[in-house]
Amino acid sequence: MYKFILIAGALLLLAIAGCSGKQTAKLTIAIGGAPNEVDYWEKLIADFEQESGIAVTVRRQVTDTDLRRQELFLALRSKQADPDVFLMDVIWIPQFVQSGWLQSLDEYMAKSDVNPDDFLTRVVKLADAYDGHIMALPVYVDGGLLYYRTDLLEKYGYDGPPDTWQHLQDCAVRIEQEERKSIPDFYGFVWQGAQYEGLVCNFLEFAGSNNGGILDSSGAVIVDSPENIAALTFMYDLIHSSEVSPPNSYTEMKEEEVRTFFQQGKALFERNWPYAWALHQGEGSPVAGKVGITPLPHFEGGHGVSTLGGWHVGISQYSDVKPEAWKLVEYIVSHNTQKQLALNLGWNPGRVDVYDDPEVLEKMPQLAALRKIFVHALPRPTVPYYSRMSSVLQRNLNAALAGSMTPEDALSDAQKEIESIVQEYRQK
Amino acid sequence: MPSYSHSDIKGALGFTLPLIILLTVFILIPIIGTIITSTFKDISFLQKRFVLFDNYARMIGDGRFWQSFRFTLLFIAVSVPLEIILGLAFALLLNRTIPLRGLLRATVLIPWAIPAAISAKMWQLVYNFHFGLANYILHALGFSAEPINWLGSSASAFIALVIADAWKTSPFAAIILLAGLQTIPSELHMQAQVDRAGVVRRFFAITLPLLKPALLVTLLFRTIDALRIFDVIYVLTQGGPGGSTTSLSLYGYHLLLSGDFGYSSAVSVALFAIAFVLSIMYARMARFSEAI
Repeated sequence: MYKFILIAGALLLLAIAGCSGKQTAKLTIAIGGAPNEVDYWEKLIADFEQESGIAVTVRRQVTDTDLRRQELFLALRSKQADPDVFLMDVIWIPQFVQSGWLQSLDEYMAKSDVNPDDFLTRVVKLADAYDGHIMALPVYVDGGLLYYRTDLLEKYGYDGPPDTWQHLQDCAVRIEQEERKSIPDFYGFVWQGAQYEGLVCNFLEFAGSNNGGILDSSGAVIVDSPENIAALTFMYDLIHSSEVSPPNSYTEMKEEEVRTFFQQGKALFERNWPYAWALHQGEGSPVAGKVGITPLPHFEGGHGVSTLGGWHVGISQYSDVKPEAWKLVEYIVSHNTQKQLALNLGWNPGRVDVYDDPEVLEKMPQLAALRKIFVHALPRPTVPYYSRMSSVLQRNLNAALAGSMTPEDALSDAQKEIESIVQEYRQK
Repeated sequence: MPSYSHSDIKGALGFTLPLIILLTVFILIPIIGTIITSTFKDISFLQKRFVLFDNYARMIGDGRFWQSFRFTLLFIAVSVPLEIILGLAFALLLNRTIPLRGLLRATVLIPWAIPAAISAKMWQLVYNFHFGLANYILHALGFSAEPINWLGSSASAFIALVIADAWKTSPFAAIILLAGLQTIPSELHMQAQVDRAGVVRRFFAITLPLLKPALLVTLLFRTIDALRIFDVIYVLTQGGPGGSTTSLSLYGYHLLLSGDFGYSSAVSVALFAIAFVLSIMYARMARFSEAI
């Protein structure tokens, strides 16, 4: 009996040791997202294995973005050799780069046909280049845009979508009033205002189109600028004054809530990411065929901007099979793979030549419009401590939208808090 | 002090060793690891350096930390008594011989058996502004013309979270208290009835004092669970509106995601210390009540 317990104990210890034990030198890629997306990636990777003769393990990640980051975070922090290749949300890249977790792609690109100019130049410049080194490459490009109901604008005699926020609000007030006679919970404009990352993206677009922002070109914090206050006040007014945005804009409205609301035919305008397009136009959607897309409006004296989102591929600094890892990256960013991702998953390619591919354009005619929108893409601050900044902004912006703080107070508090964060992290 | 033979000790060690190993590997080592990390300025993109208590000093001056601390305490103070009262009511009911008692006992447990994140998703559908059950019922009863934005103010969001949490965890209190009730000999009640003691008198003179150990256990478990509250908030409010419902665990989680391992570990250690102190307090209370 005693011996049995000892053996069991020893086995348990072995099992525990095994968890952190040596990994074999094999190419591993971490891919997350909706289950159908990961399924499709597995198929793509299988094709790569066939083509290259390199065996690849696909590590399936969950859908939730934060959990995906957490998983990579722990692997990289403990310098694990796997995963070798992974997809990153555009906002993780500065943190990953500054932590020394990413392998620069320069030398591999120099020896291959892959060129930075093959991709959306602005995206590579804003998101992937650090001190002249390319650290990642875009696989899926995202940006905020305005969806509108073509049938309703026509019905009320508008020539096209509004170009300024003021026009949007006026138009929304009028049509909302009329449409409520038949749909009591109809709203003019839905967007993402809940306390989460999406709120910061929305705010950046309002603020950016009023010449505001979070950091200026020298890196100084400009959160409490008059431009930002005006933008945030406008956001507040949309909910509480003109009431064209529903009261739950700041509690429940995230991408999917906004998308389903618009798709039920209960809203005139919608701010969302490109993914909503295929769903709005899909079979069974009550608004199919009645939806248009256009760049987001701007304030007087500003121009419309679109928060840059999307997924980029990179190689781990700790990878033990870097040449093979590059082969895989090369495959992922190739014209053919990006085209397949566009055709099968509706991913907006990072590669610029896919936007001209007739086969892709036939299936995704909106790409022509999206390409123009991506030209005005605005990145979130590319500092490694962005997520601290973002959580301060999320709380304060949300408090202002809830009306528990004035926009001035909310932004001046955020200014102070972000300044102290910058202070804290700048000291080495 | 009874004396044990050598073989007794050896046998006892054999039986407890697996547990000791498990506790060491999965609890003790991680706790020590977290305490060590909390003494470093450990941010993924900066040089790691030893700072001893700097993270704790920072915590004392951190308004966000105290805001989440106050929220967490208030959450415990409101949700735990509510859950114990509800749990006790269910336990008393289920302790009686009523028809379908077995089925009822199983039914009461259902909310507790549902994973917290899923029950929170369910409550999301109850509180939803546009199509939520709560607004639907209000509307159907003809109460409010305008739907209510349940998660829209700090106060109503707080109440919404407490209700969702109480629904989920009261059954747990009910089961432990039911077990406690069943250890009370029915003769005591019968004798009291002979002495013409009423229901209320019997509850306060017999049931409640004898239920004290079970009550303390429930209190301990519920307090420590409420201290760690995370899932319901993560799903329902993400800490909003305006950060007013950020619990300590949620705050620590946000810090971790921002890459600040040292400070987020310090927040975890603080959470652990609070739980530790509370456990000792309750353990003292339990011993005290045994003494009387």
